[in-house]
Amino acid sequence: MKRGWITWDKSELPPEAFGSRLAIARNALAAQNLPALVVYSDLWKSNHGRFFSNFMPYFNRGLLVIPREEKPVLLCGLSPRVYPWIKSVTILEEILPSPNLPQRLLQVCSEKAWKKIGVFDLDQLPFDLYTPICAGVECVDVPSRSIRPAPDKWELAMYRRAADMVRKSLDEEMPAGVGLVDHEFVGRLERKFRLAGAEDLVILVTNGQAPPAPAKGAKLTAEFSVSVALEYRGHWVKSIRNAAGIASDSSAVAFGEDLSGPYPFDANKTGPIFVSHAEVRDHGRRVFFGDTYLNAQNGIEAL
Amino acid sequence: MVNQHRLAQLTGLMRERGWDHLILYGHAWRKDHFRCLVNVSFSGTHAAAIVSRSGDVRCIVTDPWDAEAVNGTVVDDFAKGLKAAVSGSVAIAGMELMEARFVHAVGSPVSATLDVEELRRIKSADEIAKLQRACELADRGYQYFAQVIAPGMAEYELVAEVEGFLKSSGAEDNFMLIASGGTEVTGMKPPTERRFKLGDSVTTELTPQVDGYYAQICRTLVLGEPNPKQREAFGIFAEAQKAAEDFLKPGVNIADVARVQNDVFRKYGYGEYTGPKYTRVRGHNLGLHPDENPYVLEDVNYVVKKDMVIIAHPNTYLPLSGYMVFGDTLLVTADGCTCLNTTERKLFRK
Repeated sequence: MKRGWITWDKSELPPEAFGSRLAIARNALAAQNLPALVVYSDLWKSNHGRFFSNFMPYFNRGLLVIPREEKPVLLCGLSPRVYPWIKSVTILEEILPSPNLPQRLLQVCSEKAWKKIGVFDLDQLPFDLYTPICAGVECVDVPSRSIRPAPDKWELAMYRRAADMVRKSLDEEMPAGVGLVDHEFVGRLERKFRLAGAEDLVILVTNGQAPPAPAKGAKLTAEFSVSVALEYRGHWVKSIRNAAGIASDSSAVAFGEDLSGPYPFDANKTGPIFVSHAEVRDHGRRVFFGDTYLNAQNGIEAL
Repeated sequence: MVNQHRLAQLTGLMRERGWDHLILYGHAWRKDHFRCLVNVSFSGTHAAAIVSRSGDVRCIVTDPWDAEAVNGTVVDDFAKGLKAAVSGSVAIAGMELMEARFVHAVGSPVSATLDVEELRRIKSADEIAKLQRACELADRGYQYFAQVIAPGMAEYELVAEVEGFLKSSGAEDNFMLIASGGTEVTGMKPPTERRFKLGDSVTTELTPQVDGYYAQICRTLVLGEPNPKQREAFGIFAEAQKAAEDFLKPGVNIADVARVQNDVFRKYGYGEYTGPKYTRVRGHNLGLHPDENPYVLEDVNYVVKKDMVIIAHPNTYLPLSGYMVFGDTLLVTADGCTCLNTTERKLFRK
């Protein structure tokens, strides 16, 4: 869960980044003659809302409304008691308490006289929101890929930083892992990554009998592999390492995962930011490795 | 891997309701409906356990790693996978949070969420044992929290230390919020870069997950000597929590569990701080999700039953102290309740 340090470092992500991103969305709205774009956000599907506003829900849900002509507004399931904190880490100036999200959205549409709105990835809305919203206003699907085909320079810099953080820390910690109980090893990584600014983490381990999974209290052997998925300021990366040091093998069975969407990724798809990971058999044990890559116009680059 | 007790409950429910298939759906945020039958923490995007009326269970997942863990089938297209797996009258537990495209693929299912949640509220002996282990870890986690906190440390650094401790000690996950400062603090949130100072009131709720089940503890700690207003505020919180614990038993209404807590605040002239402007809930159910229904609120009508596990926490803002928290996990017994936490009930100080 999101319990790491959620912040907005303007030297890393300047306010003009959001101006640029909102302009892309507004151009798309203009092209389709839509007055506003609605972006759903929850604990899991937080990336799109984060992209446009830096809003990261640590719990509950929200709808980010991006009007074509006005500033974005957040319809928020969280209590107004935390709005000062939300405003301190986002570009948002207006947050509307919304215990009933569809009702509040329809009220906003009515007040603005919007008969039709764009919704990011419409059919991926939770069913309890989709039904009342679509019953109350005409909704047009705006595929997220049409607005966010590739990471911008600010996103890319943070993906690189996150990937570097994971790679270096795993290089430091892997040698000490053998012989530790998996919980202890995972706890060490958890502490290290959260101190370094990770917002969310998913760490899976295996001794080679099965794919990586949550720690179970087993002692790690010389064949162990660890998978670390880390979210740094809204940007997920993933690396997989093994104690045997295997990093390539012609017999490897490879998989791809799209990292451009929400955690925990879409298996067997490759977007602009993706994980390529592989499994090899080594003396009867299953060994895993992988890293995060950028699929750029001039080729594939390891981050 | 399949919880046979739960399977018997679910097939009974299906017969009663006339459902041919029941889908227990989970995604990364809400795995609880899936895990109430197949207690595996899947790591992929979506998972569904599909129960037929005859009691057959079939799992479909989107990540190849999960397919092995749940002995299920990996599907490239989850919507098509669901559609192919069901026929006749279909119900879905977790339908409200399911992506609309998946619900539409199934046809015209009905929601089984409320029915399945009601079954889940009454814990079996095995579930209670897991919740007791989670409570033990919550107690140890709070001891560690109180041990490592120090002036000058940032909130996020403390959270990193506690998360590391809980994971090292076997927690599968942990839901944790924090706040620090004085009367300007109106609620808890994720950790910030704020550094602790002498005189701070530091609030936290720790909710470690053990073998799928979350237990919770809420405590407040003052850095340095608590001032008279902080002490006075804590006295009110402790009295309110005790009122809930003394009152809770099978047959009482959850609205009254909230009311007896709020009445303590009213008695001291702080009734206005029991409403939504200053607080969220006076507690909630616990289980496979850290924040389950029913919420302990005066406008929630629900009769408490034996073997429910609830946290009573009168957490709210008071002008005396700023936001303060205090609460323990309670197991409803035949004639009352028992506290599963053992952490001292006091205003901690360091």
